[in-house]
Amino acid sequence: MNDRLMDAQIREGASRGDRYREGASRADRGREGAGRGDRPLLEVHDLRVRFPTPAGAVRAVDGVSFDLWPGQALGIVGESGSGKSVTARTLMNLLPRTARVDGDVLYEGRDVRALAAAGAKHFWGVEMTMVFQDPMTSLNPVKKVGEQIAEALRYHLGQSRGEALAEAADLLGQVGIPEPARRVGQYPHELSGGLRQRVVIAMALACRPRLLIADEPTTAVDVTVQKHLLDLLDRLRAEREMAMILITHDLGVAKGRTDDVAVMYAGRIVELADTVSLFADMRHPYTEALLRSIPRIDDPSGHRLDPIGGRPPDLIDPPRRCSFADRCRYAQRDCLEAVPEFAGLEGLHRFSCNHPAGTERGRAALAANQAAGRNAAGLSMTETREEIR
Amino acid sequence: MIGFVARRAVTLVLVLLAVTFLAFAALNVLGDPLVNVVGALAEKDCTEVYAGVAEDQSTSLNPSGDCEIVAQARAEYHLDRPLAPRYFLWLSDLIRGDFGTSFQNNQPVGEVLREKFPKSLLLMAMAQAVALGVSIPWGVASAYRANRSFDRASTIGSFGLLSVPVFAMGVVLLYLFTLRWNIFPSAFDDAGLLPRLWSLVLPAVTLGLPLAAAYQRLLRTDLITTLQEDFVHMARAKGLTPVRIMFRHALRPSMFSMVTVFGLNTGTLIGGSLVVEQIFGIPGIGREIVTAVIRDDFPVVLAAVVVIAVGFVVVNFLVDLLYSWLDPRVRAA
Repeated sequence: MNDRLMDAQIREGASRGDRYREGASRADRGREGAGRGDRPLLEVHDLRVRFPTPAGAVRAVDGVSFDLWPGQALGIVGESGSGKSVTARTLMNLLPRTARVDGDVLYEGRDVRALAAAGAKHFWGVEMTMVFQDPMTSLNPVKKVGEQIAEALRYHLGQSRGEALAEAADLLGQVGIPEPARRVGQYPHELSGGLRQRVVIAMALACRPRLLIADEPTTAVDVTVQKHLLDLLDRLRAEREMAMILITHDLGVAKGRTDDVAVMYAGRIVELADTVSLFADMRHPYTEALLRSIPRIDDPSGHRLDPIGGRPPDLIDPPRRCSFADRCRYAQRDCLEAVPEFAGLEGLHRFSCNHPAGTERGRAALAANQAAGRNAAGLSMTETREEIR
Repeated sequence: MIGFVARRAVTLVLVLLAVTFLAFAALNVLGDPLVNVVGALAEKDCTEVYAGVAEDQSTSLNPSGDCEIVAQARAEYHLDRPLAPRYFLWLSDLIRGDFGTSFQNNQPVGEVLREKFPKSLLLMAMAQAVALGVSIPWGVASAYRANRSFDRASTIGSFGLLSVPVFAMGVVLLYLFTLRWNIFPSAFDDAGLLPRLWSLVLPAVTLGLPLAAAYQRLLRTDLITTLQEDFVHMARAKGLTPVRIMFRHALRPSMFSMVTVFGLNTGTLIGGSLVVEQIFGIPGIGREIVTAVIRDDFPVVLAAVVVIAVGFVVVNFLVDLLYSWLDPRVRAA
């Protein structure tokens, strides 16, 4: 990376940092410490994670970079195997021992990977925590929920059992669980899925972390419960001036609940923008395809969803070209020759695509492929579809 | 919880009735019960009292004594009654502590049990304690770094222990620790609790090590599965140290197989103690059973079978209760 580009990024970062700090202090008026420091809370730079297998190393994460500011909500969107959960688990130091990690992860300037190697105590669970997908399995079935929440308070903050249990009940109240004093004495199997996920959230938030990673927090619960849980996370994030990484395969979940969205595909971020711009002007064909594969309430009756044809690339020794080209309606010859540069408009909305959707180049590419009946990688275009804009 | 215990207790009583009935039925159905109880004396024709003249004076049994024994046995086992009442009469005797009389030496069986059984019970309890004390840290250490060098060595070690017969291990330990290094006494020392415990260490280790190996295998496997559960990841995300996670989160839900086999092994242990008591010269119930079986002393065998069966059933009842402590979901079921 050349210096000029670095400067530009730092300037960009500073201006965006101001934006989130304003947001945080608005949400949390009068609190001390809003927007501590001039640097991002979390800096991820060129993160690479490989898993050795007998067939070769799987590149689960292949050069991911992003910054997260205090109080900011970042959505990471992608399908299964795109590397979003591996990214989260890398941040949380939850990868299996066999994983090979490269790149930098800085939390308030501290090297997170070095903290992990040194066996740092009172970092995970205090500064940074995570909520998992399935509330049915992320609580210990043989311990009372109150004990499970109190455990972190006792271990990290040195509270007595009584204090910790009282605070656990208080936390259960904060996450909207009725009769919290009774619930602390119950076992997970006595609670519904929605309540369990609230318990998990209460557990994660017990020590007032400044960063919460939520990995598909609503995927395993009923649709009716999803919205309540997402609203709860929004409210807690605002109240606590907490940054959040919301991982989801559902663009709809990220919309309206995140400040920025990173779209991941095959271990890379292919499009990164503030949420409003992303939904207004999505550029990467994968983002577009992802949105078109989701049913919408205002779709006309009988409307057919567009699944994304083909399958994600094999992450063992992937070819050095656009990883989406095989499935992309826009793909041209140049997409098969090199990985498109991750660049973009105004430095805010970035994407890696040679023929971005909604641009002249994109329209031309699509027209050419439709005329030829297939894209440059040989994907059939026979399903004639109207261009969405 | 009380309802759960009550339900299990009812089952326990039914099982005990079945077990005692089967044991009693074996006495009554396998051949003539009188023969079973008094052996060859049953052939004696007691209607012709004093028919014979010359009796061998060297034996304590004279013709009149024989017939007294036969009559005593008839009364003891209620042989003049049909099978069902006979069983209940015998059972009520049993509950009152009347186990009958050993026909070998005319000693009440209850006395024999009271003298011998506590020693064997202590030995078995110590053996299980050794097995648990060794297997839990061992299983945890293996699972913590599964398939690494320690775990691989453990696999070989545990299969080694499992494949050594109890008598071989007992003899080797006895040779090393008693004859060679003179650390433990060579015979059972009944002078107080501490000497008793001390003299039972080697036999308990002999019985306990193979069990420890079996428990270690089960605990290790279950722990490896548990450690991949989401709640373990969640515990890590909470920032708990691996040791805390292991002992506070993973261990308890991983103990089911081990606890099950723990209960079942109570039976194996009784068989093992027969051999071990012989090797280490412990005057326990095991030796008594061996002697009684060889001499066809049915009252002793029957009493021992009943006591062992009851012990086995009770231990497994306790294991059932332990399940509900290990996993609260069992209580609801």
